[in-house]
Amino acid sequence: MTDPRDTVLTHALQAEGTFDPGRAPAGIKRIPSGVDGLATEHLVVNIGPQHPSTHGVLRLVAELDGEEVMNVEVAVGYLHRGIEKLGEHRRYHQLGTLMDRGDYVSGIHGELAAALAAEQLLEVEVPPRGQWLRSLMSEVNRIASHLVWFGTFGLDCGAMGQFLYAMREREALLDVLESVTGQRMMFNYVRPGGVLDDITPDAEQKLRTFLRTIDSYLDEHHALLGGNEIFQKRVRGVGVIDRETGLAFGLTGANLRGSGVPYDVRRDKPYAAYTELDFDVPLGATGDAWDRYLVRMEEMRQAARMCRQCIEGLPEGDVMAKVPRVLRPPAGETYACVESPRGELGVHLVADGSDTPYRFHYRAPSLFAMQVLEEILPGHLLADAIMLIGSVDIVLGEIDR
Amino acid sequence: MLPDTTVVKTVLTGVARAEVTATSLGVVVRVPHEDTAAVLSALKSSDLGFVMLVDLLGTDTDEDVELTYHLRSFARDEELYVKCSLPHDGVLHSVWNVYASALLPERETAELFGLTLAGHPNPARLLTTDGEQPLLRRSVPIRTLKEVRDR
Amino acid sequence: MALDRITGEHSVAFIRSEQLFDWARRNSLWYLAFGIACCAIEGLMSASGPRFDFDRMGVFFRASPRQADVMIVAGTVNKKMAETVRLLYDQMPEPKWVVAMGACASTGGPFREYPNVVLGVDKVVPVDVYIPGCPPRPESVQYGFIQLQEKIKRQTEERRAARHDRR
Repeated sequence: MTDPRDTVLTHALQAEGTFDPGRAPAGIKRIPSGVDGLATEHLVVNIGPQHPSTHGVLRLVAELDGEEVMNVEVAVGYLHRGIEKLGEHRRYHQLGTLMDRGDYVSGIHGELAAALAAEQLLEVEVPPRGQWLRSLMSEVNRIASHLVWFGTFGLDCGAMGQFLYAMREREALLDVLESVTGQRMMFNYVRPGGVLDDITPDAEQKLRTFLRTIDSYLDEHHALLGGNEIFQKRVRGVGVIDRETGLAFGLTGANLRGSGVPYDVRRDKPYAAYTELDFDVPLGATGDAWDRYLVRMEEMRQAARMCRQCIEGLPEGDVMAKVPRVLRPPAGETYACVESPRGELGVHLVADGSDTPYRFHYRAPSLFAMQVLEEILPGHLLADAIMLIGSVDIVLGEIDR
Repeated sequence: MLPDTTVVKTVLTGVARAEVTATSLGVVVRVPHEDTAAVLSALKSSDLGFVMLVDLLGTDTDEDVELTYHLRSFARDEELYVKCSLPHDGVLHSVWNVYASALLPERETAELFGLTLAGHPNPARLLTTDGEQPLLRRSVPIRTLKEVRDR
Repeated sequence: MALDRITGEHSVAFIRSEQLFDWARRNSLWYLAFGIACCAIEGLMSASGPRFDFDRMGVFFRASPRQADVMIVAGTVNKKMAETVRLLYDQMPEPKWVVAMGACASTGGPFREYPNVVLGVDKVVPVDVYIPGCPPRPESVQYGFIQLQEKIKRQTEERRAARHDRR
């Protein structure tokens, strides 16, 4: 079998040499505007920053022809609070606190990226139990994060019920995370050198109970939302992001895998204990909203599978390597990335030998997922535009940083 | 994986005056800023296949602003960093027609480092309101404890 | 009618209209679905989820400021957002209340040192209840709403007492 990555991809835009954000994707028929004798004009509609469906404080300025979106501009910055700037004034241990509040739906991944970057500079080896706990908590957090996406994606499509079910499942996971880390959202659990604390018997018990039921629950949820004809008609074939567009716009994670590019940081640049875990990387075929939905649903099952392996295979030993109280990495530059539920979450650190980073940069997967919206939304109906914002799963905290 | 420095040098021969070194970050290509777009498109269309711009960031090195373009090749599973420097009042030339993913990061970098953005379809401010100082510059201080306490 | 449960069946209750209105208001505090940052996940989504079920307190979300009584400021307010927060507050009909949820909305929180961040939403709109925490647990938000209900109740009595004194 040939690896699809063997083909060198060139972007369609480059071939054409022009960039027209208003062009309609293939397969969408433009409705001619104006009935005989009546003059119509394009309407500019402002959506957000206060809007129940924009997933936070995203603002879209959409130019409409009737119900069809002609052109769209995203306006962000309503949550810009200086994570990168403040990172230059925090010690390496404290970066996790900032990263938690970047992608606030999946805090563990942000912390992990910051810790990995600091460890690469310090050349610290994390003990095996710490590595496995990192993987375990990452996957628990991944399911929790995808459940938020699942609930809100349904809301965007007009379905309310599964939001409540998704939140019910999520609470069980937050109990596990709370029991281990002490917090429901801002964990500050992964530190340079390992993890803060060992898993508690209570958390293990709760997680085992959850893992016994999650697969059947996911089947139910999928039947409830994905088995709905109205939902399928709304998402199938809508919002197609082809491989070239996905790569050109820097998409990563489930959005890129939905377009059929088999890139997963956990498999291709393994960190934590992922080399020892057995998991599949689900792939989409066409890159429409339905593919992205299926990829994320399957990722939840794979995450549950990895959680089971982690609980069973958790090695004995310390959870934290011996690291000094104040970290002073030697001068240098590094990039560390993890597979967050939204894609490749990277931390670019420049150290100058002091106890604070010289430059701390956060590669936010949502930022790249959002800029593809300007490309794919034109040609769709306004109601589909709302659904497509949900389908790329963005978190505004990490877009604005 | 690290790309072969000699191969990268061969690709860039005749395109620009490029300095290829292996550092703690990975293989770094240092080029003059005005040649960045040419270098990036050469790297993209070459056999190396750097089809994706993973990230773009600026660093204030006190003397100038250093831009880092992080490229990735899926075909060869390699990563490459292209760096260039421009003065604090410099003009950031957009590379969006090579990599569309540079559209928003360029706006953000230009805004937060106080650079002028050229050749961009929408060079407006992205994150802050008009009149805000370039916040990511080292010379711009954060609030002191006293300012915070006396809020 | 729900009043029957308090006063007994077929009873006649004598009540001042303002007391009746305030009683009704404090038991149906509809908040504006306006999540800014992390706190929105806890205060708006988890709190209205099945476990914490805000609905049983008569607290429910409205998408439009024109229909809302309470604004939960759930997250960091920066200079760009401050205008929008003020605009939304002005769009809400009287009587209206503001809950500053979490450290960021109260004082700037972990981001207070960044020059672009507003040091507390009380610089922009008047705040009735501050909820500490980063983020506060959904229970804290519910406790905050109970305190807001108490405040509305107290306001009725204070208003009456003030009028009485004038006479």
